[in-house]
Amino acid sequence: MSETTEDAVLLEHVTKTYPGVEQSPRGAWLERRGPALWLHNLLGVARLTSNKAPPVQALHDLSLRIQPGEIFGLVGPNGSGKTTLMKLVAGLLQPSSGNGSVAGTCLSNTREIRRKVSYVSTTGWMGLEWPLTAEENIRFFATLCGMPTPLARVRTEEALHTVNLWEDRHKYPSQLSNGMRQRVILARALLFHTPLILLDEPTVGLDPVHTQLLLDLLRGRLRSYGQTIVLTDHQAAEMEGVADRIAVLDAGELVMLGIPGELRAALKEMTVIEVHTEEMESPATLPPSLVLAAEHIERPGALSVRTWRVYARTSSEALQTVLDWIVQPSGRVVFLAETAPNLQDVLALPRGAATGGHDESEHAHREAHL
Amino acid sequence: MTTFHPQRPDTEPMHKPGQHRQPLWRQFAALWAFGLREYRLWQSYRINQVLWMTNILVTTLLFFLLGQTIADQAASLLGPAYGTNYMSFVVIGVTVNIFIATNLSDPFFRIQRSYFTGTMDLFLLSPMSIYTPLLGLMARSILDDYPRLFFTFGFGMLLFGATFNFTYWPLALLFTVLFLAAGFGLGMLSASSFYLLDIKKGTEPIQFVIQELLATLLAGTYYPVTVLPRSLQWIACLIPHTYAYDALRRLLDPGAQPNVPVLPIQHVFPGLSPVLIDGIALTLFTVILVPLGVFAYGSGIERARRNGTLTRWQ
Repeated sequence: MSETTEDAVLLEHVTKTYPGVEQSPRGAWLERRGPALWLHNLLGVARLTSNKAPPVQALHDLSLRIQPGEIFGLVGPNGSGKTTLMKLVAGLLQPSSGNGSVAGTCLSNTREIRRKVSYVSTTGWMGLEWPLTAEENIRFFATLCGMPTPLARVRTEEALHTVNLWEDRHKYPSQLSNGMRQRVILARALLFHTPLILLDEPTVGLDPVHTQLLLDLLRGRLRSYGQTIVLTDHQAAEMEGVADRIAVLDAGELVMLGIPGELRAALKEMTVIEVHTEEMESPATLPPSLVLAAEHIERPGALSVRTWRVYARTSSEALQTVLDWIVQPSGRVVFLAETAPNLQDVLALPRGAATGGHDESEHAHREAHL
Repeated sequence: MTTFHPQRPDTEPMHKPGQHRQPLWRQFAALWAFGLREYRLWQSYRINQVLWMTNILVTTLLFFLLGQTIADQAASLLGPAYGTNYMSFVVIGVTVNIFIATNLSDPFFRIQRSYFTGTMDLFLLSPMSIYTPLLGLMARSILDDYPRLFFTFGFGMLLFGATFNFTYWPLALLFTVLFLAAGFGLGMLSASSFYLLDIKKGTEPIQFVIQELLATLLAGTYYPVTVLPRSLQWIACLIPHTYAYDALRRLLDPGAQPNVPVLPIQHVFPGLSPVLIDGIALTLFTVILVPLGVFAYGSGIERARRNGTLTRWQ
């Protein structure tokens, strides 16, 4: 893999497969715990035993190129491989096969990659030290990363102002709301103007005001530094307003990639019909051919009302055809709307449907699911 | 697919381009930050400090009171090698045990705690060496356990009649460095189980077998190894604790005779001074265990990076 300075991120045919986790049967005579587990795993490391659990493929033959200074959005449902991709780019994972580079550094050089990447994840405990204040948390990380103390002081203040937390800098994480803690994490990532910032679902838990603040920050200040930003979300709608390009991942594969306008254009052959009905069974017959997919959405609190979201090919008869299919003598339609699809709807479609391809087996699966 | 025209980058990596490692002083600065962090953590639980002090007092007093009860009978078992003061004998046993147990048992525990609280994820995202967090997290163990040395010696000397001969203190210091290093080598091996062998919960077998089992029963913390059957004395020779106790007692206990062999291996080489044999053994343990621990821990991290088990949350 040759070193390159052309791309912020370059992935070529990257596949990531996790080894399966073997479970010893519950109640077995020698359940694998303590020394038994140690011995079993030692034999596994020495390749004297084999792992019989099926491996899990998180990314499959993924090729991607992200340019410097770009804001790149990754969307996909849970389990689509977004976080695996982010970890791989952050140097926390190694690919099972394929090549790649991050800001000109080969993926295998994880230590060098960590110098060039700031990673913000809002899951888990976020690595905050609870006995340290917000300001101390950020300065502690600055020291760990080798930032000289005077610079750390200036950058910490700057970062806390940026995320609107300067007034709360002396508060401990336990005194901050979830959204505020998230902003401390973000401030920590802003300390270094690294070539690449990875934001894994950064708006989860933020109120609308601070979501907007974050999006403005991405569009404004970070872009002005020329930092490349890769952010993930399972809400594609938010991504449309901020990302220069968006990639849609599904089951570890890249299913769509382009600027938001292009992706929307790819959806112009599709219409979304939402039907609310009284309680009734799923349709007994197969859907008409113009239906690409259909979902039954549970609405907590809406007792006796069912919501059906049907993705169909654009046609003057689409609305009537879907109504004829879904409505039954026992049910009554209480609401009906036809809307243009947004990127969020791509995630509900069978693979290839939005871009013109058609995967029959996937389609059949969706029908069966309905 | 669109062509994107980026602005002129104004970014900076965390240190100079082409500089693949952080300078050593920055690693020390990170270690110092860890030390301060651990001090803040330690300090933030005030009730913990009271309990810590009480625990030290109770355990130290317990050992001494038991020791004093049997001191006269026990002294006759010491033989000429370790002098005749059982309280001096037990002070060295307890002190060495605290030090070596800390270095051996705590790395796994510290890594485990940091992993489950999510802070290890953060450390592994920073560009510092993978060994810096391991060393830095040990600051808490040092804060917690090393001060016990002063309490143990202080109580022993002031209240219970322990006496010491500090003539050979530089040699005693050298042996201390050696057994601390050997213990930390074992500690790194134990910590490597976390990533290399996926031992995430419960007791770690390396530290359990060596520290809790072999060292506690066979190394001679409270009694000389000569009270054990010969076969067990040979097993005692397989762990560094035994040599550390033997050497420091010979060097510090008043009336101890450095040339009288005690351990089976010392009888095998009658031409060599027992202290020299202890020194060679501890040096060998250090030279073998420290690189082995470094290798095993590094391999564990790389294995976890391949298998996706490196971080808990990110």
